[in-house]
Amino acid sequence: MSTFREHKTIADRAATDRSRHRQKIEKAIKESIRDVVAEESIIGQSGKKKIRIPVKGIKEHRFVYGVNEKNKKVGSAQGKDIKKGQRIGHRRRVSPQQGKENKPGNKPGEEMYEIEMSLEELAGYLFNDLELPELEKKNFKFTTQEKMKRKGKRPYGIRPRLSKKETIKQKIRRKKAAIKAGLYNPEEDDRFTFHESDLRYKHIAPVVKENTAAVIFFVMDVSGSMTKSKKFLARSFFFLLYQFLNHKYSSVDVVFISHTTDANEVNEDQFFTQAPNGGTLVSTGIKKVEEIIEKRYHPNNWNIYTFYCGDGDNWSTDNKETLSSLRRLKEINQLMCYTEIGKLNNYDEYRLFSGGSPEKRLWDWTKLIEDKMFKRVRLVEHKDIWSSFKKLFGGKI
Amino acid sequence: MPDWSMEELQDWDKKICTIGETLGLDWYPIEYEICDYKEMIGHMAYTGLPTHYRHWSFGKSFDRIQTEYNLGMSGLPYEMIINSNPSISYLMTENPMATHILTMAHCVGHSDFFKQNRMFSETGADTAIDRFKAAGRRVKKYMEDPNIGAEAVEKILDACHAVRFQIPRTPGIKRRDAKKLKKYYQNLIVNDTSGWWDGFDINKIPLEPDTNLLAFIAEHNRFLEDWERDLIRIVEQESHYFVPQASTKIMNEGWACMIHEKIVNTLGIPDDYYLSFIRLHNQVVRPHLGRINPYHLGFKIFKYIEKNQGFKECLRVRETHNDETFIKNFLNEELCQELNLFSFSFHNQEGYNKIVEVHDKDSWRSIRDDLIRNIGLNSVPVIVVKELQKDGTLILEHEHDGRDLELSEANKVFEHINDLWQGDVRFTTIIEEETWEF
Repeated sequence: MSTFREHKTIADRAATDRSRHRQKIEKAIKESIRDVVAEESIIGQSGKKKIRIPVKGIKEHRFVYGVNEKNKKVGSAQGKDIKKGQRIGHRRRVSPQQGKENKPGNKPGEEMYEIEMSLEELAGYLFNDLELPELEKKNFKFTTQEKMKRKGKRPYGIRPRLSKKETIKQKIRRKKAAIKAGLYNPEEDDRFTFHESDLRYKHIAPVVKENTAAVIFFVMDVSGSMTKSKKFLARSFFFLLYQFLNHKYSSVDVVFISHTTDANEVNEDQFFTQAPNGGTLVSTGIKKVEEIIEKRYHPNNWNIYTFYCGDGDNWSTDNKETLSSLRRLKEINQLMCYTEIGKLNNYDEYRLFSGGSPEKRLWDWTKLIEDKMFKRVRLVEHKDIWSSFKKLFGGKI
Repeated sequence: MPDWSMEELQDWDKKICTIGETLGLDWYPIEYEICDYKEMIGHMAYTGLPTHYRHWSFGKSFDRIQTEYNLGMSGLPYEMIINSNPSISYLMTENPMATHILTMAHCVGHSDFFKQNRMFSETGADTAIDRFKAAGRRVKKYMEDPNIGAEAVEKILDACHAVRFQIPRTPGIKRRDAKKLKKYYQNLIVNDTSGWWDGFDINKIPLEPDTNLLAFIAEHNRFLEDWERDLIRIVEQESHYFVPQASTKIMNEGWACMIHEKIVNTLGIPDDYYLSFIRLHNQVVRPHLGRINPYHLGFKIFKYIEKNQGFKECLRVRETHNDETFIKNFLNEELCQELNLFSFSFHNQEGYNKIVEVHDKDSWRSIRDDLIRNIGLNSVPVIVVKELQKDGTLILEHEHDGRDLELSEANKVFEHINDLWQGDVRFTTIIEEETWEF
């Protein structure tokens, strides 16, 4: 005889473990986002665009045998005819054993989730990590503009600002009061005249207005020395900057400028994929920014941000000129950033490349003008992006 | 609404038990819990144990099972039973009476197997539930301890889970810790007249290669906190409990299928029940194309034994064998042919699985052996502790049996071992005929 009982549980006991698992997936999403950010054309896209993000499942690891010729398995073939050497199943691709190149390898199918999210959500993910609220309070500036604005009426002022309507209203008011008090009888008395105290003048006061439009200049060195991986790093960084500023301003214009020994305005795709060769003259890029600002973005109306990105290579004769351009540009920018990708060039090597001249590196040059408005950032690995970003906007590092 | 009542369940159960007894079965009393599908998923996620400790991996399997169930990708198992005394089993409210009858008869088979098969003699069925409960409570306590916290507990558990099956595969052998082992070897050396033990280093650790990685770490890692050591022990103990189930999966399921078939056939159930029973039974014991269905294989072999040697012999086999000996002894050429077995492996260059051998006169034995190499814990690579060096370096070695390790996975597991050992670890294996060190 067995016993039977109704199961009585009050709580869903898997709830905590499930939420913990989801937390882990969320973390994996964040990590995958970095890859997506690096690969897709997403800067300047509308926030509604959906992106598919592949997320690796949270795997539990075990010692397992590789799937290869040596690992024989057994199956039953039901009623089917089979013979030696017959292919079964579907074709699969396998990647070689990790860490051991050219060895025939194997990789069991990894668990993958694919998550679709919009750019807005994606940016949300990114900024949750960065403690955005704190950043907003600190060091965030808008360009301001003084404008004269009407601000009510007052009893004194200059003649041209006399408000006839308001003055008459005052007179009528006084007249009505006089009638009531019996001081003036409209049928008998003369005309009820204007009095000095009836006069009202329009008042105009200056107000300070914040500009809510911003323009971001992304300037990048696309000369031969900027490898693909360096560009990926730059792209991730730019994406973050764009999203952050987009979050803050009502409208954001983005201008991409790529330069070698000569600068051009390009679109995003070209910006990241173009691979022209040649030397590097950083000053051309900076001058191009000045030129475009002059033509299209007046510093009084626009919040201007300029981010320069390169690997520190510059023709040594150009360094001085670059510095003076940067100095000029700094004055009209909300924030400028000089980003260098890769490890700092070693002096000896640098001397070799710059023809043995003892000129300083661009990194050192730019130190001269570093301040609140001009920052230097170095990106070596992906993980530097986050800390650099915080450094730029004054969050906690 | 279910088409059954509690009274009906009890009626059928009484009849099932009577038939079971006449078959000569002897099982733990069974405690059926009636639950809904959501609770069933919960039980499945925690391998059926009602008192198991918490870990995110169970949350993961819960979500996976639920998604698959909701998408109709897989049904829920109609039976789940725990090796304990009394045996706890679950019946799902949503299932019809015919399914319950089959489930209950099936459970009798399993419970009989748990109680009779010699592999299970050391699993402590009487105390299993309480032990898991106590372990669960301790894990909870550590998680809630402000000096430890859930994260730290999780890190240790993750690491333990990665190597949880690096334990001896023969159940019932008591582990000798370093002290006892030393005494044992000292005895051997002192009483030795043959000279075999000359030059044996009695101070070596371990004195013989140790396959119980978790126990070795718990014994020899001096940096472990008490709670860390306890967590390692908890996982190790749980693995010991599960080893017999892993090494008798085919027999256990085959036996339960044979028993439920026998019981239901003598039960005299109404015709419409019988039809659904036949349908369900065939679903369970059907072969899976290109794979091995343990229900099918075990059932076929038991049927074969019964046909040739009678049911008595079946009773004896279910007591004394495990999957490995079961297959080695009873899977013959005739059965290989009937089951249409073949061996296959993956060809990297072609990107296809290719058939290596088919069941003919010459190669059925090699197919049988390949099968044995893949059942139960045989599919888990053996890692042994070779040496604990004076400087605290742990030397591990993979016992290579012709099959290379998957390196990407092994690297990850190696990191977990580092977490547990908290010191230098060296681990060697063979990849493509060359020694490979991590």
